[in-house]
Amino acid sequence: MSQENDTKTFRYPLRWRIMDALEAALDVLWPRRLSPYSGWALIMPALLLVGILVLGLFQIAESSLHVLDRSTFMPAEEYTLANYEMVADSATYWRVLWRSLLGAGLTVFFTLLLALPYSYIMVRTPSAAVRKALLVALFLPFFIGQVVRAYGILIVLGTSGAVNDVLGLFGVEPVRLLFNFPAVVFGLVQYMLPFAVLMLAPALTAIPRETETAASSLGANWVRTFWHVVIPMAKPGLVGAGLVVGTLSLTDFAMPAMLGGGSQDFIANAIYDQFFRTADQGLGAALALLLVALGSILVGIVIAVFGAGTLGMGGKK
Amino acid sequence: MISPTQRILFWSIVWFCIVILSVPTLIVVGASVTAGNIISFPPDGFSLKWYGEIALARDLRQAFGRSIIVSLICLAVSVPVGTLAGLALTRYRLRFANALQVYLLLPFTIPLIGSGIGMMLVFGSWRILGSVWPVGVALAVINIPFIIWSVSSSAASLDGDLELAAANCGAGRVETFFHVTLPGVMPGVITGGLLMFVLAMTEFLVSLLLTDARTVTLPVQIYNNIRSIITPDLAAVSSVFVVIALLAVWLLDRLVGLEIFLKSK
Repeated sequence: MSQENDTKTFRYPLRWRIMDALEAALDVLWPRRLSPYSGWALIMPALLLVGILVLGLFQIAESSLHVLDRSTFMPAEEYTLANYEMVADSATYWRVLWRSLLGAGLTVFFTLLLALPYSYIMVRTPSAAVRKALLVALFLPFFIGQVVRAYGILIVLGTSGAVNDVLGLFGVEPVRLLFNFPAVVFGLVQYMLPFAVLMLAPALTAIPRETETAASSLGANWVRTFWHVVIPMAKPGLVGAGLVVGTLSLTDFAMPAMLGGGSQDFIANAIYDQFFRTADQGLGAALALLLVALGSILVGIVIAVFGAGTLGMGGKK
Repeated sequence: MISPTQRILFWSIVWFCIVILSVPTLIVVGASVTAGNIISFPPDGFSLKWYGEIALARDLRQAFGRSIIVSLICLAVSVPVGTLAGLALTRYRLRFANALQVYLLLPFTIPLIGSGIGMMLVFGSWRILGSVWPVGVALAVINIPFIIWSVSSSAASLDGDLELAAANCGAGRVETFFHVTLPGVMPGVITGGLLMFVLAMTEFLVSLLLTDARTVTLPVQIYNNIRSIITPDLAAVSSVFVVIALLAVWLLDRLVGLEIFLKSK
């Protein structure tokens, strides 16, 4: 330091020197002539990160081709399609698949039934405070997380829970409301409601209020206005919300596990059990791959119908 | 303009939704302040003893600490990666942009159980299963579209000429990035980061698949405890999540305003 003071060398501020060093480093690492590829360089980390998932799918596919060797309890060496045959032949898995599909279908129906009026009121209300309150009521559960929400439902629906207390006031004996199929569907509807409303709301916002006024001035009552104007115009939102809710509930794990009490397994629970209870990795992997395929078909329909734009990330160029 | 029958019908559905969305949460918080030894509602007297209890419970405290670590790792991975990707998708003309979109949406389109099992196998073959940090990376992978979304929507409204102006004034590429581009998309980065953190805090299924008894995170610990016993201490732990959610909603509203989610594209 003292030497520098003696010679009175002029020095740029530290921040400038750091910036210059960084610029120089960038010029070495990524010269300007590479700038046509800059976009690819920026997106590469994300591609690699998502690549872990792709790698995972390959690993699942690989494991699904090995049957469990019952003598060593290790996956056998040779490749075979036996796991898929086992899934196809098993009445249990068809039952689980049917239950998941039925549960997902019912969830879609009830969720949309509730979400449509909710988003309609939220979009159309003249009061900003009401709109904010309705939004908070949606976002709070979304951020609380599935386990805690399912835990709340467990307490509310339990034999000594609030619902049974209320029923008790009317002299109704405690009813077993949990650990059955309706409880799982109820939990899924509760879980999916925020997703559905948030996907529907933009579609409803896009409908000009005047179209409804026009319909009613031509003599349509609100039911006809809703049925012939609002619902057809909100159709993209309805189909999008329905497919998202459908795929998410078809593949859900926590609600069937916690509210179904082990008797109402969905596909995800069956996969989990193969990996962690029976330790038959190959069979679990085969099931997982089939579920991924099923989910991709549903998503493929969304993209084919709406284009990736509905879920797209690029924004305008 | 809305007719009375429609008003009554729609508002009763809305109230029904509010009840089923909020009552479980309210009851959890209510049950956590009971003075009794079992879950009951209305609470059996008021006391904060169960909060004292969970502060002393070692497994819960450690699980909470691990959840924080996992969320921070998720943040550290996803914020830089997601910001760069969001910028790349909006500011650069990439070939195969549509295919890239579909690829980057894979974390949403592959069912979580599939992603979780896949990463479990991959991490297993890399011999890193059983540590805490891979869970954070995994959560960054499954939620990455959220931050790419929020950054790219921020970047789309940023005037590209600003960067050219900075370069014209002699700023190099690094300087332009840190002083012009990054501050411009900061709202999107912060919103995305907030989402990533909270979603990592509350994530359950992938964490369940990737953790073992020594590395459980808080949601998995709650799940395990629910299966064994229902005591008010779990309600107290769950209330922690309610507080986190309240903070997150408040922050999100302050940062971008919740109304942004009602806009049509």
